[in-house]
Amino acid sequence: MARIAEILKALWRALRRDQRSIESVAGNNFFIVTALLLREAGTFIYLIVGLVLLFPLSTDPLRKIPPSRLALWPLEKGERRLLRALSPWINPVTWGIAGVALWCARGKVSLGLWVLFAAIAVCGFALSEFPVARGGIWHRVPHFPGPLDQLVRKNLREILSTLDFYCALILTLATLAWRIRGTPLPPEAFTAVTILVVLALSSYAQSLFGLDGDGGLSRYRLLPLAGWRILAAKDAAFLLVTIPLILPLAILPGICAALAALAFGHHASVHQPREQLRWRFSTGTGVIFGLMQAGAMAMAAATAASLGPILLLPCLAAWGISLWWSGRTVGR
Amino acid sequence: MITARSLTRRFGDFTAVDGLTFDTKAGAICAFLGPNGAGKSTTVKMLTGLLAPTAGAVEVCGLNPAAQGLELKRIIGVLPEDLGLFDDLTVEEHLLLTGSVYGVGRQETRARTEQLLRALSLEQGRNTFAAACSHGMRKKTAFAMALLPNPRVLFLDEPFEAIDPVTSKIMRDLLVSAAQCGITVFLTSHVLSVVEQIATQLIMIRSGKIVWNSTPSELPQALEQHYFDLVEAPVVEKLEWLGSRKF
Repeated sequence: MARIAEILKALWRALRRDQRSIESVAGNNFFIVTALLLREAGTFIYLIVGLVLLFPLSTDPLRKIPPSRLALWPLEKGERRLLRALSPWINPVTWGIAGVALWCARGKVSLGLWVLFAAIAVCGFALSEFPVARGGIWHRVPHFPGPLDQLVRKNLREILSTLDFYCALILTLATLAWRIRGTPLPPEAFTAVTILVVLALSSYAQSLFGLDGDGGLSRYRLLPLAGWRILAAKDAAFLLVTIPLILPLAILPGICAALAALAFGHHASVHQPREQLRWRFSTGTGVIFGLMQAGAMAMAAATAASLGPILLLPCLAAWGISLWWSGRTVGR
Repeated sequence: MITARSLTRRFGDFTAVDGLTFDTKAGAICAFLGPNGAGKSTTVKMLTGLLAPTAGAVEVCGLNPAAQGLELKRIIGVLPEDLGLFDDLTVEEHLLLTGSVYGVGRQETRARTEQLLRALSLEQGRNTFAAACSHGMRKKTAFAMALLPNPRVLFLDEPFEAIDPVTSKIMRDLLVSAAQCGITVFLTSHVLSVVEQIATQLIMIRSGKIVWNSTPSELPQALEQHYFDLVEAPVVEKLEWLGSRKF
């Protein structure tokens, strides 16, 4: 027990020095905006998806110990289990979530539902311990013309290894299924869902270099490429993922929203780079910046829906200026 | 080929590199030696344009790395300290990326990639993602990336560390033949036995200052002994508890 206490103490020290774990819960655009929009009506969904699952995936304190080091420590099986069970509780966010959950669900949640919440949380922690898989399908990412082919392919693999993409995919597939089977929806509904789809991907646009690691960043600086081209390869991958997802929805508003997301995201990606983890939700720069980005995207999409293709021009201009401006910093 | 004059780099109050002055000729293999934290990697970063000097001047192939970074990057090959690999690209894809970005033709890139994969025994792992490679494989991939564009100057930060003896021999031979073709090699290393075999110029630094700069033939004694005398002598601390069965 003394050994576990010492490890937990060290983890607590590491956690205190790294506030990202707290920010990461509050740093994903999709969850910020859905929390604001759904409010009371979405409490359960928000608790289950947004916090109970997101928290373990994004902020497991035990991940601060390298797995190879943890495996080498002479701990008994029971001690390892105890460490697994206790470590989440050294993070103040766990207590916060537990408190919010109790307050929101007071008297409304049956014992069975509580067990379900707990099971989802346990799954989240278990999932966070899986090694990052790069299976055969990763080799089949298509090729693209031009000298940036391999960079775009790499960037595609990166974005496909975030949970943001799968969240957006579920939204698209659900809407597509409704469109095929369900009652007809007004065009405004498609614009709204399109905004949500791009919103789900928009935090990634704030951390375009987050999955490159230190080695990747130093390689970028060694490549004889202008900074804007490196950023353009990132944007190409983002748009290659976004456009197919919005094809069955509202294409023009979706493209305008994606360009707005990138125009905002470049600055954060370059000036406030944040390391990201695979198979997790992306963490944005901060709540205020995230809301500004989401607002710009919603405005671009809504205006494009009412004004038509003409809005593509200012969106392209904003994206181009942002690419050039932030590209100068990448080049340096 | 490489010229440094009073090259200095400060980080706040700390002076990492303190007034280095040296010249390295075309076709030389210059070994830049010193203990950990002596300023070797900082110097390499300044020579490759990754870090601007606080004071002094540097030229590589007549180019100023700080002002003409992009032009310089096109004619140098670098093996950085952290290897600079992308987790989401395979060994082969790293080489193909290098060829296309440095403007090597497609056919030529393919041919050079195949040759390098063979030469460095990377053929079997060609489709392995960098994240899944062993450290040795990663180092060989980064080394191959440095060679593929046929650079005029090679900067190698600790190329021989964590490399098996056969690969080390292959790398040594490749560097010697590259130097014979006029490519300048500037490398940092702690493996003095290897350095002794290939270097044509030896520079030793201690606390950011050059303490020795000569050809190997000008050394007054064996390289290792000279290094211990000038740079850092090993201090042996007796650990009485080690092996005493006291836990």
